[in-house]
Amino acid sequence: MAYLERSSPTLKETLHKIYRAEKPIEIDQHFYEFGSIQYHIKCSTSDSNIVYVSTSTLLETQGTVTFKEILSHTYEVIKKIAVGVIDIVDPPRLGFQLTLKLHLDNIPRGKEAIKVITRISEIQALILSSQLKEMLKVMNFQDDSQAMNNNRPIRIVYHPSEPFYVFKQPEKLTAVFPMNFTDNSDMVIATSFFQEMEKAPRCNWSPIPPFQLRGEPVQDLTTSSGFVSFDITSRHIEGKSLDKTVWNLLNFYAYVKYHIKCSRGYIQRRMRKRMDSLVKLLINTSLDEEAHQKDGRWKYVKERVKVPTGKLMMKQRCKEITRRVKISKFRIKINGCARFRFNQ
Amino acid sequence: MCLQNFPCQEVERHNKPEVELKYVRCMTSPELLLNPVLICLNEAEKCLIETSINSLRISLKVKQADELENILTKKFLRFLSMRAEAFQVLRRKPVQGYDISFLITNYHCEEMQKQKLIDFIVQFMEDIEKEITELKISVNTRGKLVATEFLKQFM
Repeated sequence: MAYLERSSPTLKETLHKIYRAEKPIEIDQHFYEFGSIQYHIKCSTSDSNIVYVSTSTLLETQGTVTFKEILSHTYEVIKKIAVGVIDIVDPPRLGFQLTLKLHLDNIPRGKEAIKVITRISEIQALILSSQLKEMLKVMNFQDDSQAMNNNRPIRIVYHPSEPFYVFKQPEKLTAVFPMNFTDNSDMVIATSFFQEMEKAPRCNWSPIPPFQLRGEPVQDLTTSSGFVSFDITSRHIEGKSLDKTVWNLLNFYAYVKYHIKCSRGYIQRRMRKRMDSLVKLLINTSLDEEAHQKDGRWKYVKERVKVPTGKLMMKQRCKEITRRVKISKFRIKINGCARFRFNQ
Repeated sequence: MCLQNFPCQEVERHNKPEVELKYVRCMTSPELLLNPVLICLNEAEKCLIETSINSLRISLKVKQADELENILTKKFLRFLSMRAEAFQVLRRKPVQGYDISFLITNYHCEEMQKQKLIDFIVQFMEDIEKEITELKISVNTRGKLVATEFLKQFM
């Protein structure tokens, strides 16, 4: 699961292209997103107002509450996206979980068209959110005693390498995310991030799996960056909060990866900046002083010194030597050297 | 830093930094190498100065208190070492057991002022430590802000 934006950018762009096309166009396009979602768009020139959009994603859940197909409640929610525009095709296209028949001529004109197309592009986010919402509601309304007797956690896999677990505890649900990174630096940045998150209430990080996950597959329990868990109370599941809670849970992996990517970019920018400053420092060590002249900013001022020659130079040298001997504080008195003593 | 030009005694037409051929020269021409000086603040921070007649090698080991400082130091010094040609006096690969190494030859002493070169190396050491500390604080602060933003939505 790698969403940070609800709508699929490719689907949105393609639907816009078909909707705005002056002439009917033929499209039979198959594309994948985020490694686990696939789409198919079909539009023919013979019937340019009808577009078929098929979609499929991994919807694996294992445990006490199991949903492997799209729920009937989800179909109702999809139909309500744009009344009169969307029809659900039964059975769906081979290899897909859902096929929609879009009536482009029923889409309202102007800015409304963009909103409708954007909502249609959010179809996958809607399916996954809807499934997870139902699951959380069912678990939340389970009796505490019933849940304790049958305490096996639910394993949710919406992306092959990113499973997470949800299990019921007294008065709350807990979502546990096993975190795995291949790169050592990603692991360290992520671990420092999780240690910051741990300071918040209802959020916990541990390098070892919680005991409720005993008996789960070993590959899920062997991680490089520990386990992050969130406590979900009934407050998070009631009303409008449910949508936000579900979206945050679905996007947690994507959020962490995005943070690591941005941190690495930031480190790289700072390193470049520091390197430039160090190189400038080294350039200043150059022996060639004229090389420092740049646009007249560096001025090399020659001090004109009068260099004495011949007898004048000899006199100056004698004076200098006498001064140095006097300063040296030579205490031993030598006959004939009275002029060198300071006290004289 | 009294370095002078010294063509190779063993091989004709060769003029190499003698300090780089230390393990060969200590057997054949030990007079070209001076005693190395090791300055240790503690086990984790040290500086090794190896001198020869025509070159000088300074190797530094930087303090790394935790995992984050460890990876930041490795990344940063590797970044600088890979761009060694921009620094001229920097060695592409540090000496074993150290994080970064400088190689100063007599040619560098002819092109650059010695005192300023020494000042540069001292400044370099200070800047590295300062930069790594600042990077660590920035990464932690960034993580804290991102975590706060995420949890605000969650709560």
